[in-house]
Amino acid sequence: MIKPFKIVGLISVLLLISVAIVWHNTVPKQLTLRFYPFLGSQPLVLNNEKYHNPGGEGVFTIRDFQFFISNLVLRSKRNNYTELESYHLARFDVGKAYYEIVISEISVSDFQQLVFSIGIDSTANGTIVIAGDLDPNNRMAWNWQVGYKFLLLEGSLYSQMKQQPLVYHIGFNESYTRLKFPLNSTIVSNDGIIKLKVDILALFDQAEPIDMNEIPKVKFDPEDVAKIAKGFQHFISLM
Amino acid sequence: MFKVKFLAAVSLSCTVIIVVSIFVFSTNKQGDTQLVEFTTPFVFGRFQIPKDNPLTVESVKLGRRLFYDPILSKNNKVACANCHKQSLAFTDGLALSVGVSGKPLSFNSMSLVNLMWGPKHFFWDGRANSLENQALQPIEHVDEMGSNLDDLTEELSEIKAYQTLFEQAYGELNAVSIAKALANFQRTLISSNSPYDQFLRGEISLSPQEEFGRKLFMAHPDTKVSLRGGNCIDCHSQFLTSGFSSFFDGFSNNGLDDDENLAEGLFGVTKLEAHRGLFKAPTLRNIAVTAPYMHDGRFKTLEEVLAHYNSGIKRSKTLSPLIIEADNLADSQSQHISLNLAPHEVVAIISFLHTLTDESFLTNKAFSDPFKTGEPND
Ligand code: HEC
Ligand code: HEC
Repeated sequence: MIKPFKIVGLISVLLLISVAIVWHNTVPKQLTLRFYPFLGSQPLVLNNEKYHNPGGEGVFTIRDFQFFISNLVLRSKRNNYTELESYHLARFDVGKAYYEIVISEISVSDFQQLVFSIGIDSTANGTIVIAGDLDPNNRMAWNWQVGYKFLLLEGSLYSQMKQQPLVYHIGFNESYTRLKFPLNSTIVSNDGIIKLKVDILALFDQAEPIDMNEIPKVKFDPEDVAKIAKGFQHFISLM
Repeated sequence: MFKVKFLAAVSLSCTVIIVVSIFVFSTNKQGDTQLVEFTTPFVFGRFQIPKDNPLTVESVKLGRRLFYDPILSKNNKVACANCHKQSLAFTDGLALSVGVSGKPLSFNSMSLVNLMWGPKHFFWDGRANSLENQALQPIEHVDEMGSNLDDLTEELSEIKAYQTLFEQAYGELNAVSIAKALANFQRTLISSNSPYDQFLRGEISLSPQEEFGRKLFMAHPDTKVSLRGGNCIDCHSQFLTSGFSSFFDGFSNNGLDDDENLAEGLFGVTKLEAHRGLFKAPTLRNIAVTAPYMHDGRFKTLEEVLAHYNSGIKRSKTLSPLIIEADNLADSQSQHISLNLAPHEVVAIISFLHTLTDESFLTNKAFSDPFKTGEPND
């Protein structure tokens, strides 16, 4: 008489699995947003890797790259999670090839949408508050009358035997861009990690590609700033 | 056109002084210690004091005495204060400092001011990662103070005044408590009452020339929108005027040498090629009294410093792209790197730099030699 045992065994295994699933989905844990920097399909390598100028001749290297992610919200049917003092300076030169934001102690299961911005909202951008990674004495600050650089990209362009510096300091309230991503259980991995791709080329490889020879520096010229900031729309995607 | 949000300097005035009294669990054995109360401008931003070294009145008192005591050196002639003189904003007026050996060091003495802000790495090349870690290095360095820490601890423990001071501050006398006390005294060296600070608080206005210089200091030039600037703020932060605090952001190559002559700098610490020739961007507070300038004291005057930034930049692999790119004339940079500032603009920047001199800091009795005021009675 082996059969009944088999059935009991099967039932208990199923029971265990379902308990595990329910437990897994309801126990609050931490959610991690992990940002991986790319240039198109190539991962970002600072200083040593050369990439093609998306709008023209020549190749370029990147020596510094950082940008602000802010005002993060997670939406579900039942409730929203709004992060406080939500200003994160993403950078990729401090030991890890990715940047991560960890939100602890939330129930991850049922969020349907992830929302955050590239840049600093006009309220914070117009003051000298110190919140999150905002710091008027850091490298992303212009002076207090102008606000913050939302994105900093610096490097060199090599074209026709000539080397010239690339300096893109993109700020201004008009550039502040809200991004929304749908969430479901397949996007959030078992350990609560959401992977996002940051594509630097998206800033240049637009409908009308930007030639770095023509625009090697963008600082305060509103038209040039707007050209690059248009790329913020496609700057980040779910992996 | 270039849009500027005109927050009047006045709006800063309401944000200024916060009184800091941090609550920390004192790990001291002897119980009753009192935390130092001090004020710091809001615009300086956050700071941290190590949990295992609370800023107590007792530790600062001890640190101040140690700082001024030549007993710390092998020949009992060189105190920290020999190379860090208060009237010179804690520098020594020499191109290269000289200690017990009489042999000039490789470096120019650094001003000790607002050390709780700005880069978290100390020395020109960033080789000390805390003030505690920094403090014992000059004591042991053969050319600076040349002491042996065991001998020094023994020597100090034979002095009654030190027995009491160490007991009160740390409950023990050893190399670790020497370092902690020196670090804490230096944390109290805060300069925040220069004319520039008073201007930020809305108490005074700057002269037209100083204000012109301030604007140039605070702007990266952009000929496309006719914005002129000295680009100083690219590396010297707007309120602290020091390098930036995060990671190694406060270190850069400001074009002093070409590749052949480039010193190791931060490379010596991180072993990253991209860090070769990068040095700590120092605070510019009290800069008018801290000549000569740069890590090797090569410039005697602020005029020489400005001449360097305006037209003396040398190319090298790690030269800051912001320096290469900063130019007040459109497209002139390909041959010779120059800011192309006009003479009256250079003069204005220098006059702004003079507004960073804080007389009350240079004469504050709390930072002066306690042996001269007779305070430590022994
Ligand atoms: C012989 C002269 C001399 C003596 C004595 C001396 N210093 Fe210095 N100090 C210097 C020089 C030179 C530098 C820069 C050295 C370097 O970067 O390697 C410096 C740098 C420093 C710094 C780093 C500041 C910064 O912003 O990174 C601190 C802190 C400091 N000294 C504290 C002390 C203390 C505390 C003592 C006594 C224990 C002391 N010094 C003794 C010459 C001296
Ligand atoms: C690219 C970054 C950068 C820029 C831009 C820059 N500095 Fe510096 N500054 C530094 C660094 C790094 C040092 C220390 C260099 C060394 O000694 O090796 C320094 C040193 C100095 C010193 C000497 C400080 C001392 O204690 O010896 C002065 C004065 C100074 N800078 C003023 C200015 C002014 C004024 C401007 C604008 C015209 C400016 N700097 C622009 C990075 C910069």
